[in-house]
Amino acid sequence: MKRILASVTDGKGFDIGLVLLPLAFLLVLSGLPLVYNVVMSFQEVDMFSLGTFARPFVGFKNYVDLFSQPETRPILLNTALFVSASIAGQFLIGFGLALFFSMNFPGASWLRGLFLVSWVMPGLVVGAIWNWILSGDFGVLNFFLRETGIIDGNIFWRSDPHYSLWAVIIANIWLGTSFNMILLSVGLSGIPKDLYEAAELDGANALQRFFTITLPMMRSTIGAIIALGLIFTLQQFDLFAGITSGGPNNSSNVTQYWAWDLSFRQYDFAKGATISVIMIVFVMLASVVYVRSTRHEVRG
Amino acid sequence: MSDQMRNRLMLAVALVLAAIYLFPLYWMYITALKTGSAMFATPPKFLPSEPQWSIYAHVWESRNMGRYLWNSLVIALGAVSLIAVLGVGCAYVLARYRSVWVDIGLFLILMLQVLPASLMVTPIFVGFSQFGLLDTPRLAVILAIAAKSMPFFVVLVRATFMSVPMELEEAALVDGNSRFGAFFNIVLPLARNGILVSAILIFMQAFGEFVYSKSMIQAVELQPASVGLNSFMGPNTNEWNNIMAYATIYVTPVLAVFILLQRRIVSGLTSGALK
Amino acid sequence: MTLQIELNGVNKFYGAFHALKDINLAIEEGTFVALVGPSGCGKSTLLRSLAGLEKISTGEMKIAGALMNNVPPRKRDVAMVFQSYALYPHMTVEENLTYSLRIRGVKKAEALKAAADVAATTGLTHLMKRYPRELSGGQRQRVAMSRAIIRHPKAFLFDEPLSNLDAALRVHMRKEIRALHDRLHATSVYVTHDQIEAMTMADHVVVMRDGVIEQQGRPLDLYDRPANRFVAGFIGSPAMNFIPAIVGEDGMHAVLDLGATRARLALAAPLAAGVAVTVGIRPEHIRIVASGEGAFDVPVGFVESTGSATYVTSATRPELTVVETGRPDIASGERVGLAIEPTQLHLFDADTGKRLEVARAAGVMRFAPRAAAHPAAATFSPS
Repeated sequence: MKRILASVTDGKGFDIGLVLLPLAFLLVLSGLPLVYNVVMSFQEVDMFSLGTFARPFVGFKNYVDLFSQPETRPILLNTALFVSASIAGQFLIGFGLALFFSMNFPGASWLRGLFLVSWVMPGLVVGAIWNWILSGDFGVLNFFLRETGIIDGNIFWRSDPHYSLWAVIIANIWLGTSFNMILLSVGLSGIPKDLYEAAELDGANALQRFFTITLPMMRSTIGAIIALGLIFTLQQFDLFAGITSGGPNNSSNVTQYWAWDLSFRQYDFAKGATISVIMIVFVMLASVVYVRSTRHEVRG
Repeated sequence: MSDQMRNRLMLAVALVLAAIYLFPLYWMYITALKTGSAMFATPPKFLPSEPQWSIYAHVWESRNMGRYLWNSLVIALGAVSLIAVLGVGCAYVLARYRSVWVDIGLFLILMLQVLPASLMVTPIFVGFSQFGLLDTPRLAVILAIAAKSMPFFVVLVRATFMSVPMELEEAALVDGNSRFGAFFNIVLPLARNGILVSAILIFMQAFGEFVYSKSMIQAVELQPASVGLNSFMGPNTNEWNNIMAYATIYVTPVLAVFILLQRRIVSGLTSGALK
Repeated sequence: MTLQIELNGVNKFYGAFHALKDINLAIEEGTFVALVGPSGCGKSTLLRSLAGLEKISTGEMKIAGALMNNVPPRKRDVAMVFQSYALYPHMTVEENLTYSLRIRGVKKAEALKAAADVAATTGLTHLMKRYPRELSGGQRQRVAMSRAIIRHPKAFLFDEPLSNLDAALRVHMRKEIRALHDRLHATSVYVTHDQIEAMTMADHVVVMRDGVIEQQGRPLDLYDRPANRFVAGFIGSPAMNFIPAIVGEDGMHAVLDLGATRARLALAAPLAAGVAVTVGIRPEHIRIVASGEGAFDVPVGFVESTGSATYVTSATRPELTVVETGRPDIASGERVGLAIEPTQLHLFDADTGKRLEVARAAGVMRFAPRAAAHPAAATFSPS
């Protein structure tokens, strides 16, 4: 007993105690649900069996059913489109802004930080604002597009199945661009200035410097940011709830919204769990990429 | 071109970019002040001609926003306290050592950080309902948010602890401190700012949280402001000025805190996400 | 005198890495000991083990007679001065000084009085309310020292405390630390990679390499009778010249291999004929004389003068360095003679690097008892 006490005040016991408690908490509240999710995806779950653990196991029935549903394919395609378009938009605009703000001028870092308001706002509020901006008859985006001559008639962003997914994508690009920009700025500022000076003395012009110095030096940062973008995009739920609710007719539905919709709108918890399991496996693969690309730190 | 000219030009371009980017926010503030007819005018007015200041009091009263915001506050504070109490020590240990076990712990934590709430809510809801946790729905949401956000907090705070030199703690040990004393007297005060900033970030996230609250809190009087906003926005609403007024009341405190602490929040965020 | 610090067969492993190998050390009360060696030699690990910041794997460690193996740092009553000083940035100088006293429950007035007393002797009185970030490097160094002094510990541990200072301040602080030691008569263990610090400050120098104590003893004993080639090369600046050689048939001279040049050098005492040896000669033990008048001639390569001394490097392989005081009139390319006193040669076994002990007249030199007890210092005399 005395030895244990001494270990807590002076040795490893202190550390072990500090780390075990939160790990246990996470295990119970994240680990167990993860396992429970997989279990439920192999069970028949309805409103009556919700309260009991003893539910009939049905093997891969939920998975088979899921993939035989007509909406599954379009929703998966929507998810792929949502993820790739969002990441591309966020990354490209973010990189452009980061490059612009990396040219030092007074107020640059403060203004750059201000962009991050899009990221700290509640997602549902962002959804509400964009819902209004994207409104068909009175939306201000349609007004701008008409005035600049890009479109003739109004686009019904939220109710036209051709545009509904893009409505969410636009809002999501707006929301995530600032975060991309800030992280890319950090990466840019980590490139030593004398590299650019050396390249300039070697005769490289601005474009050549970008492709031969900036891009190669930013490789691990870019990898991390794209993986992080994938993770965040697959977590995006509030914008769907705030703008289109997945409609009309699933045209803007994606897996992470669908999983919730199946469980909490249609009370089909087994299907909700099934699609969750599939997507979680996918997200975890993305996070392995993220973890690998950020493991360069050295403790001095 | 002189340096001063260049700086002014760059600043001007930067201001234009910021104005474009932040236009949606401006549109929220301006719409809230418009009358019903001004709101649907074509072309839209970009400056309010007759601002309706009374709209805030009206929306506050009619939507019962005091109650919603109180619930948001309870949930956010509860989640942040729980996360801070459990997460700080964990982050400290993960920052202090380099070993296979630390790597495994870190890997697990990073993995848990990425699980989307909308996918985890199904098993959490079913599990919580079986253990009767849904009878205290706000507590249930606090627990769920804590589990979701703690990994992010640990990653951020770990970066802070790594910036506290190990020698300081060793000096305290040699000076006669126990591990407890060195941690509370030396390490914690030096990491205080970083911990505070991380806690504020987590608070902001929890203050706007939607999925768990929407799924687990059925009783209107216990729902937070995000769920309140969601039920305000029916499919064919045309009360946009009222909705924007609601949104304004909801986000302005968050934005004010962010702008005040902007520099610290940005640096805290970046040190964690890429390290 | 009593033994203040005792290490018997101490080993330290980090996983498979063997950081300290069978360390034996006995330090008498009031001694100033320097642990010196190249980076990664284990000197810092040894010091941190003394502080209790690292746990030794095997062996036994005693401070003031008490076994310390499992005693946490706070109960060892030792004070440490860190390389980075490790001043608590959120405390004023005064709070930094009194911190350890406050932890031990010393009354506030008493602690402040102690701090004032120490500050008066180290010249910090006017800085007591400042924060570490407001101090210069030298001032921080003084605070770190004072923080150790105030406790009257059983031992002072210094971890390269001068390496963050500029050259002039370093020389000054060297004297100050030694003066402090003489005043307090406390046991001090001082880690440094700078052999000059070790030589000038310490009573007892411990040279380490790859986790092993290569030799320990009084500074000048190490200089005069290095136990092996490593110590010979490490102690002394500029470094000792090493020349491969074979002992001649009469056993009374060595044939030096200087690339194109072969030279005969008389030995002070006989060795077995035909043995391969390494001859060591300190640069300050060679004199430049006219060609043909020394032990052998060499062509001059470089001549560098610092004003007070002139460094002459020969155009041979290996190069020989000679230090001459004053400014001899020598030019590159010239042939000069080198005069070498046979008694000032050091001979090492060509394979093991160990010192070959030439039989000498009794009384000329005597090993310090503890150094002789160590296997690394064992004498070797081929019959």
